[in-house]
Amino acid sequence: MRLLDLLPYQTVYAHCDVPCGIYKIEPAKTAAETVLKMVQLIEDLPKENPTVDDRNKFVRCVVTKEEHAQKCKEELLILWTDFFKPEHLKMFPKLHDTFWQAAKLCSKNKQTVSLEAAKELVSAVDEIAKIFNKAQKSNS
Amino acid sequence: MIKILRVKGESMTPTVKSGSFVFATILPYLFRKPKVGDIVVVRRGKDTKNLIKRIKKIQGGRYFVVGDNPKESTDSRTFGWITKKEIAGRVLAV
Repeated sequence: MRLLDLLPYQTVYAHCDVPCGIYKIEPAKTAAETVLKMVQLIEDLPKENPTVDDRNKFVRCVVTKEEHAQKCKEELLILWTDFFKPEHLKMFPKLHDTFWQAAKLCSKNKQTVSLEAAKELVSAVDEIAKIFNKAQKSNS
Repeated sequence: MIKILRVKGESMTPTVKSGSFVFATILPYLFRKPKVGDIVVVRRGKDTKNLIKRIKKIQGGRYFVVGDNPKESTDSRTFGWITKKEIAGRVLAV
């Protein structure tokens, strides 16, 4: 036993919470691009006399679109609420509105099959990617 | 005025290993401001744990603290910049 073990001491934490400060834009980008791809695939399906396989593909595309629009929203919300800090608002005064509009686009893409809305979502996430990369550089 | 602290966690490895003892005091900061490179004890609130981190950047009276082992550290990259009030002391000897 060391002398120090006998003395009164407090504990100080050099700790690490999950998720350990790991933030990436890639999951949101991939999810947004998946939504766009699913809309394109749905649009390409025959409108007249679809086969059973066509219907099966339609359902699968809609389910995948739904899942990835939700995933995109969740990934964006993590960045918005956890990665970005009040000081980033000085660098990006439109930060809140940019995230808010992107999150709304995720919902719009769940509600509709719209090439325009899907492209808007991809652009919105690309815009957030630029902001995120700049913010990351300012942190380093 | 000098506290004995036992470190728990790996975020300051290799400078301070988990289980080692350090001494910390607020005294130096009564005479000068904390500076970049100082290892400090961070107390972000009454109910939060005391953390040991190193000051990496200072801007507008606020401090950006990180662990020496950034892969295993929760620090200003997660909870943002801290104020001088949240610095509970300087680590003297490690």
